[in-house]
Amino acid sequence: MKLRPQLNPLTQRQLARFRSLKRGYWSAVILLITIVLSSGAELLVNSRALIVSYEGNWFFPTYGKYLPGSTFGLGYEYETNFRELKVFFERQPSNSNWVIMPLVPYNAFEVDLPASRYPPNAPSLSEKHYLGTDTTGRDVLARLVYGFRIAISFALILLICNYTIGVALGCAMGFWGGAFDLFFQRVIEVWSNVPFLYVIMIIASVIIPNFWTLMIVMVIFGWMSMTWYMRTSTYKEKTRAYVLSARALGASNARVIFSHILPNSISIIVTFVPFAIAGGITSLTALDYLGFGLPPPTPSWGELLSQGTSQLESPWLVTSVVGAMVAILLMVTYVGEAVREAFDPKKFTYYE
Amino acid sequence: MTSYFIRRLLLVIPTFLGITLLVFAVTRVVPGGPIERAMNEALLAQTDSAQMIDMNSVAGAALSEDQLAELRAYYGFDKPWHESYVIWLGRVMQLDLGMSTRYTEPVWDIIKNRFPISIFYGITTLILTYAVCIPLGIAKALRHNSVFDNATSAVVFFGYALPGYVVAIALLTALASAWEWFPLGGFVSDNFDQLSTLDQAIDILYHATLPLIAYLAGSFAVMTFMVKNSLMDNLSSDYVRTAIAKGMPFKRAVFRHALRNSLIPVATSFGQLISVIISGSFLIEKIFNIDGFGLLGFESLVERDYPVVMGILVISSLLFLVGNILSDICVAIVDPRVKFGENGS
Amino acid sequence: MHLRMNPIARALIALVSTLALIGCGTNDKGNALPETPGEVAQEIVSYPVNGVLPKGLTWETNNEDPIFASADAKPGGTFRTYVLAFPLTIRRVGPDSNGSFAGYTRAGFLQLVSLHPNTRNFVPTLATHWAFDDDGKTVYYRLHPNAKWSDGTPITADDYLYTLDFMRSKHIVAPWYNNHYTTQIVNVVKYDDYTISIEGSSAKPKDEILYEYSMGPVPKHFHVLDENWVRENNWKVEPNNGPYQISKIEKGKYIEFTRKKDWWGNDLKYYRYRFNPNRIRVRVIRDVNIALQHFFKGELDTFGGVLPEFWHDKFKGKDFDNGYIHKIWFYTDNPQPAPGMWLNQSDSILSDQKVRYGLAHAMNIDKVITTVLRGDYRRQHTHHEGYGDYSNTSIRARAFDLTRANTLLDEAGWTERDDRGIRTKGQQTLSLRVTYGQSHHTPRLVILREEAKKAGIDLTLQLLDSSISFKQMLEKKHQIAWMGWSGGGLSPRYRQFYHSDNANKPQNNNLTNNAVPHMDNLIDQYRAATEKTDRVELAHQLEQMLHDTGAVIFTFKVPYTRDAYWRWMKLPEFRGTRVGGLFNPMGGQFWIDELERQSVLDDTAPKTAPVSILDTTYLSE
Repeated sequence: MKLRPQLNPLTQRQLARFRSLKRGYWSAVILLITIVLSSGAELLVNSRALIVSYEGNWFFPTYGKYLPGSTFGLGYEYETNFRELKVFFERQPSNSNWVIMPLVPYNAFEVDLPASRYPPNAPSLSEKHYLGTDTTGRDVLARLVYGFRIAISFALILLICNYTIGVALGCAMGFWGGAFDLFFQRVIEVWSNVPFLYVIMIIASVIIPNFWTLMIVMVIFGWMSMTWYMRTSTYKEKTRAYVLSARALGASNARVIFSHILPNSISIIVTFVPFAIAGGITSLTALDYLGFGLPPPTPSWGELLSQGTSQLESPWLVTSVVGAMVAILLMVTYVGEAVREAFDPKKFTYYE
Repeated sequence: MTSYFIRRLLLVIPTFLGITLLVFAVTRVVPGGPIERAMNEALLAQTDSAQMIDMNSVAGAALSEDQLAELRAYYGFDKPWHESYVIWLGRVMQLDLGMSTRYTEPVWDIIKNRFPISIFYGITTLILTYAVCIPLGIAKALRHNSVFDNATSAVVFFGYALPGYVVAIALLTALASAWEWFPLGGFVSDNFDQLSTLDQAIDILYHATLPLIAYLAGSFAVMTFMVKNSLMDNLSSDYVRTAIAKGMPFKRAVFRHALRNSLIPVATSFGQLISVIISGSFLIEKIFNIDGFGLLGFESLVERDYPVVMGILVISSLLFLVGNILSDICVAIVDPRVKFGENGS
Repeated sequence: MHLRMNPIARALIALVSTLALIGCGTNDKGNALPETPGEVAQEIVSYPVNGVLPKGLTWETNNEDPIFASADAKPGGTFRTYVLAFPLTIRRVGPDSNGSFAGYTRAGFLQLVSLHPNTRNFVPTLATHWAFDDDGKTVYYRLHPNAKWSDGTPITADDYLYTLDFMRSKHIVAPWYNNHYTTQIVNVVKYDDYTISIEGSSAKPKDEILYEYSMGPVPKHFHVLDENWVRENNWKVEPNNGPYQISKIEKGKYIEFTRKKDWWGNDLKYYRYRFNPNRIRVRVIRDVNIALQHFFKGELDTFGGVLPEFWHDKFKGKDFDNGYIHKIWFYTDNPQPAPGMWLNQSDSILSDQKVRYGLAHAMNIDKVITTVLRGDYRRQHTHHEGYGDYSNTSIRARAFDLTRANTLLDEAGWTERDDRGIRTKGQQTLSLRVTYGQSHHTPRLVILREEAKKAGIDLTLQLLDSSISFKQMLEKKHQIAWMGWSGGGLSPRYRQFYHSDNANKPQNNNLTNNAVPHMDNLIDQYRAATEKTDRVELAHQLEQMLHDTGAVIFTFKVPYTRDAYWRWMKLPEFRGTRVGGLFNPMGGQFWIDELERQSVLDDTAPKTAPVSILDTTYLSE
């Protein structure tokens, strides 16, 4: 198929249909907005100021090199504390200097530990800790937002990798069958029995695990289930009348696969997408919860969850992270449901 | 077809060898095994255990090469890994899974003791899941986009989005600790042996309610939607439309034709049901203090109890392999169009 | 014991450091050994008498110290406590015998002598008298003639001789014990059934040899040493000689100890009014927070509260408000563990002393203490605190001081800063890896990391499974090891930690790869010295030299024990001893009022104002 600048009518119809499915559509909109916002989270949730006007010069500290306190006449060489700078400027009314801070003026790492109170601290509007602080005094909202960014990118990349391998291999196994199928069945069976945790432990003892090493491990151990579903589905479709007749008409293998088998397996593929994304998020969260995930102090939902479940007397911890998880996963599943309904080649029939 | 399944059964052997060989090799590479622990302990001993046992406190000394060799022999690390593997495999052939390095008890005894718990929770969860998901999936498919459909989706997904261990902690804190409706964990009461049969059943249920809710909370979503989507696929397919167009009553079309086909994806997971006898979630078991497979599996992994790890692997991989074959048989039974083993090209 | 700092570990330390102390009030040789009818008399091969007691020995004993228990104590009741994991074995030695349950089993096995917790004098236990040989390494003991194993068999010299055979045996698969009873305890000699001597490997001051070369007997009539010993003794209840013996084992659920009614030492001076509960039931509860729920329900009698979040946040509720559950914060004074950041001096960055000093000044330990630790912990200044005269209290740890840190790091050549504000030198970045094994220490390290950034230092946190992290440290693969050595003993130890013999070699405790020739000299002198004054002087010098190397940044000490306890748990007026151990189930002074338990649980007991006790009797600062 050639790529056309304009969408073909079918796709347009599908999009229109998707738009008409309100629950899924709005979930998709909200989810997309959340993802876009989180990718620019530094502008919304950050300890670095958006704009500083100092002695007539404007500074945009958000991205780029750190600005030591001495830049603004503060007596230290480490990174400027812009919240304090703002207060400092405001206390000098004659001064024309000013600071604009992001909505949430904290980043995910810094500890905010006011004297006289001990972390975790309850949500406070006046301190702009809208969801309170965690057991180390870090802003819960900031950690949720940055943790979300990591979790969702992790889940999406994982999904793409697993699906690419799973669909291609599963389809090939189901289509060709025979020795090829047999061989990869054995590979899958062997792989799915290797204790994943050991591999993580071995890696963690050699290097500090990061996003990509964890991703590679998860892909290595995650492609099997999609492969299996695709294999079964291909087997099923292969024996159907339309495939047999297409073959009888001399359709090439590629045509049979791409025009017949894949579109008809799309419901299987798409049904599992939301669960796969949700699975990606929850497995990263569970690994972090158990302490085998991304190294501290990476912002992580799992770490927040483990803090929350052992500190039930500070309910803002567990409610904010569970609330965020439920909201995101619900939206993901609603979107998946709607996508499936809109993009399925078959129209649903109603018999009412 | 029969020959296909016989061939599949024969193929279990090389796969089983592959699995055990690979994992056996991996256990040799994982750092922090029993020998290293003994070495660590020797160096910590001058402070910890010395004080505990003898009040003495002497310089911690590394173990000598001779002592290490003895430890290696004790834990079976004295031979190259492939030789050890062959020895281990030979024992497994004689149905001897070896001796746990942590419990110093036969691995089989340790595993066997967990069966009642995992079978109970596994089967109960399973029955409840199917009992809820299949009817719910059908109802949702038939009333697609109704208020009922939307409301149940929200509930099911909500349960799915909540991690089971969070549900477990919440239930335990609220229902067992604050309101004292249920016990704080355990599988049965301490005086279980003295109870009558009826009371024993009640006692088990009393202890099982909260863990079951935690297990079930997340398990409805996938199955329900598999049934729903698959049934909707079939309802919209030509043969159902044709049947209805020809005047077949809708109900009959659904239950005689569409439903059977829509249960095929459900059937692909059917064979794996035999694995419930070794099922269990580590976190839920830990929270509810249940001595099941989740705890055993996770702890043996983390504590590097390799004989137990390998013992569980032997059982789980055999169940898994046989389960796959059973799944295919189930698919073949429910879907006569599927022809395994015939020349598929 | 910083490696596992949870309340249970803490409780165990307390338990362990309060070794059961039993004095013998009388030494009445006229007492005939009671017969134990019904016991199947095992044939016990007796060791031959192979020594002649030297003339002119001065026999010492100690019946003068005050007792440390209360005459008000009432025996009876059941004490309920918990462990986080069911023990893997109840053996004392051999594989997996060193877990968190070891404190319970080992408390049933007494020693020849023990330390009085308050006076720190030796008091008689299984031995009634002791005497020192002129060689400076041999001690003679007179055994208590009434001492018996729990099966009624008398404890005689043969059991001590057998201890050597046993502990040196390959069949127990306990290399550390094999070593200790070969290299440290060299010989045991029998003079008659109730007189022995123990010879150690080297001459030491008297209190040291009494401490180091003391031992407990092993029941000779019970053990059969062969290759099956480890397996067969996993769940076999070994006869012991302490006040409690295991009476019931429900695997995976609980272990119950019962007080021996006719225990051989019931009337002894340092023993009376202690070990009051009739039963001790140790349940398995696999999660601390759930154990706390059991405590709130009254199913556990006490709950450890050393960790700030328990003491300040979780110990709340109506039972506290009604005075049903009390809280006690009890300061102790005993050898402290040494937790710290052990800098690998062979590392290319950390080999520079200025960097080490700069790093020390960039670690805001005080901020950690005043924030996440709620001001409860204290700063540890040296390796050996709480060792009495030996501790060098003039040394103060390097305080958080950005100006000095900056000056030192600038002088060391780390003058440039990268985009994140981290110092660089040529191609290198001042980024240091902290290896640690306890996830609950992450908050402490996170604060240090954020504060260190101000000095331009980047700390990366490497959290590993605890056994893997220790392995990395022993292999000297770390840059900074975040861990703690437990404290104990009568005097400091230096050789294993700081002698160059161990530097740059794997599998030893010199985690800093310390190799200072002059320090080596002093360490050797310290080990050879037999006069306490010399040793104290040398210890002070060594501690100062250690401070000067900057190889270790010591962090926290926890000189107290804290518990929440139901009101039916009764403490003596003085509450606890110098080493704490208020509710040490196997050796404490507390008792239980079962009637009050009922009325409190029924909610019929009178309510009072909340009770929170702060006891600073033994606060040393």
